Amino acid sequence: MAEPILVVDHIVKRFETPEGVLTAVDDVSFTVAPGEFVAVIGPSGCGKSTLFNVIGGLLDGYEGRVSVSGETISGPHAAVGMIFQEESTFPWRNVIDNVAFPLEIAGMAKAERIEKARHFVDLVGLNGFERSYPSELSGGMRQRVSMARTLASEPKILLMDEPFAALDEQTRLLLGDKVLQIQQDLKQTTLLITHNLTEAVQLSDRILVMTYRPGRMKRMVDIKLPRPRSSEIVGSDAFGHYVAQIWNDLREEATKGLKDDESRRARTSRA
Amino acid sequence: MAQAGHLTQSRAAAPLVSAVTWLRIGIIAAALLTWQAAALWGASLSKINPALSTLLSKVTPSLLVVAESLAEVLFHPDLKWPIDLGIGSWRFTQELWIPSFYWHLYVTAAEVVVATIIGGLAGIAVGIALGAKPFLSRAFERYFYYLGPTPKVVFFPILILWFGVGPESKIAMGTLSCFFPIVLSVAAGMRQIDGVLIRVGRSFRLNSWQMVTKIYLPAMRQPILNGVRLGMGVALIGTLLAETRLSNKGIGFMVTDAYNTFDMPRMYAVLVVLFAVAIGANALVARVSRR
Amino acid sequence: MSARGIKGQAVPVLFGLACLAAFFILIEFLINIGKINRFIVPLPSDVVKSFARVAVEEDLLNRFLLTAYEALMATLLLSVAGISLGVLLHRVRLIRLATETWIAALASAPLVLMYPLFLVMFGRSAWTIIMIAFVSALPPVILKTLEGLSATRPVLINVGRSFKLTPSQLYWKILFPAALPTIFVGVRLGMIFALINIVGVEFLINFGGLGQLVNELSERYDWPGAYAAIGFVILVSVMFFMGTERIERWLRPGT
Repeated sequence: MAEPILVVDHIVKRFETPEGVLTAVDDVSFTVAPGEFVAVIGPSGCGKSTLFNVIGGLLDGYEGRVSVSGETISGPHAAVGMIFQEESTFPWRNVIDNVAFPLEIAGMAKAERIEKARHFVDLVGLNGFERSYPSELSGGMRQRVSMARTLASEPKILLMDEPFAALDEQTRLLLGDKVLQIQQDLKQTTLLITHNLTEAVQLSDRILVMTYRPGRMKRMVDIKLPRPRSSEIVGSDAFGHYVAQIWNDLREEATKGLKDDESRRARTSRA
Repeated sequence: MAQAGHLTQSRAAAPLVSAVTWLRIGIIAAALLTWQAAALWGASLSKINPALSTLLSKVTPSLLVVAESLAEVLFHPDLKWPIDLGIGSWRFTQELWIPSFYWHLYVTAAEVVVATIIGGLAGIAVGIALGAKPFLSRAFERYFYYLGPTPKVVFFPILILWFGVGPESKIAMGTLSCFFPIVLSVAAGMRQIDGVLIRVGRSFRLNSWQMVTKIYLPAMRQPILNGVRLGMGVALIGTLLAETRLSNKGIGFMVTDAYNTFDMPRMYAVLVVLFAVAIGANALVARVSRR
Repeated sequence: MSARGIKGQAVPVLFGLACLAAFFILIEFLINIGKINRFIVPLPSDVVKSFARVAVEEDLLNRFLLTAYEALMATLLLSVAGISLGVLLHRVRLIRLATETWIAALASAPLVLMYPLFLVMFGRSAWTIIMIAFVSALPPVILKTLEGLSATRPVLINVGRSFKLTPSQLYWKILFPAALPTIFVGVRLGMIFALINIVGVEFLINFGGLGQLVNELSERYDWPGAYAAIGFVILVSVMFFMGTERIERWLRPGT
């Protein structure tokens, strides 16, 4: 196996809350090799998003170490591109200017950056919409704009935090195809945070299953499905087998999460 | 907004609260000191530059003088005293009446309340009609929408012509001012009722009266109260401006009277009390409508 | 907003216009048969006729330009001071905590009533009118600027941080453009208040442009002229309102 490009080393992150210290992420370690697609899956409240923010450099005050190509990072790093769960396009910029944003920040000349941004707009299949504003696009198209914007900064690692959570199942599968194709074309190293089983299995080479609060590593599953893949794979027996296997691990954690949530609600409603 | 902020930050921001208090005290103290400094500087200029000195002492009279006027305004009761009038060889006494600030305040408040009631009832009726019937809304709402933000004071000469120089023309001014914002916010509120609530009402087979009292009015409570609050604010401005133009009672009259007699400290005193009352009334209505 | 109608809505629009026309014809008729005193309500046809007369005899163009100048100056002052103060309050949390409620309170006080004070300072001049319009319309501009800057969605700020923006890039490339539509709502609100107060104070202190025209004509008991002048004031404010609406739409591309 090649030298890992991303090393996540014994990360622990705690938060102070009114009810005491909450350990969101507890001793998580893994590596991602160049060109690899790794997913982190877990029930809501397992600290996935915290992990995303730690690796992206948006959170500090954690124990452990994150390094990219051997370099320990603190704060946002040019090698790490982030795609957020929430709608994050700039409503005041049209598609091409949204995608060109990181190039503009890098100080690239206008003609050049538009040219380059156009390439990434094509890559996510939005050619023809360059002059449209986000408000004129569907949710799926906007999420592709965010994706193109992040890809335009040419990150070594793409970090995605439930990028399709707000979309319906069918759009999600089709966008998954887009991601597969882009990943193939660019050999893009990707770390996907998700709670969606199908999405994780459809896209990944490896899946890290996390426990509910505190977020620990439960299991790492290798997905030995052939590449190139497409969403048609969801019908195959092997796919179903992986989904069942991961759900087996996940169900226990999700149940804990649900019970915990319900008892917390019961407490607050009594209070 | 500020209150929500306090709630979320109350734990961590405990030491900051006292910093805020200190800053507030500091701002007020700095403002008063600057004011007093300007007053003293103005007085010291009386020999060098009399014109500037007069202007400064008019604009920033000494704080003590303003405080005296404030006390005068706040604690001066209605005064009635007999005066001796001599006409030819006849002598007789008549009672001279000097009304207090509170009487003027009462006059203005009464005008504003009556104006808000008339304008509010008319505005709610028209707003409900526009909100309920899309045809009427398309035919007429644009006129209300575009007439809303126009200066209403210029109608005052006509209102005097129609209603005379007394309180009636001020009430008319206030009514005209508050009518438009109330129409618009009631019509918008009516349209914004969640469609599912109306379907729920229908599913329980409510009749029209029940629909209005059980669904529409409760669901529109907030926009109606907001509209009335907005309307009351502009009714107050309309009434006061009309009073400054032509009247012999009310707060607006007191302000122009102070100006005409060049009694600037009294004008400050009246304005300060008026602003405090207006802010307090607005906060009160806001609190009631939030419940 | 309400002026949504384009096609297929011509019928109600025409109905509205017809009702308006019918109303004026009815007034005309009632005055002609003596049911309404023509000294209290002049004939609508006389009012229409006096439009041209007022425009020529009363130097309407220059009056309009004076009012427009006052509105422009007040708008400039409002934008510069209002937006700067809003930014200041947003950047320095302590100042915001100390003064935001004060400013919100001032927004509900009838500040325009201070106009005699400005008369003392600036005399019967355009600056009295500009300053009172500026001061009385300032609080909403500050509050809306603050609201717009504070309401920037956290994810947009995170996007900026993920691209390693400097604090000033974060302000100018993300916070400010995100807040711009709301800021303009505030400026527009301020402009409308300012124009209302400008015409109102012109009328009250009998100085300046369109407001004074209404005052003069009514003091001469030229009622058809006064009605026509009021009509003109309304027309100008409506055009002004529509113009600002246009700018607002232009600032929110794509919506």
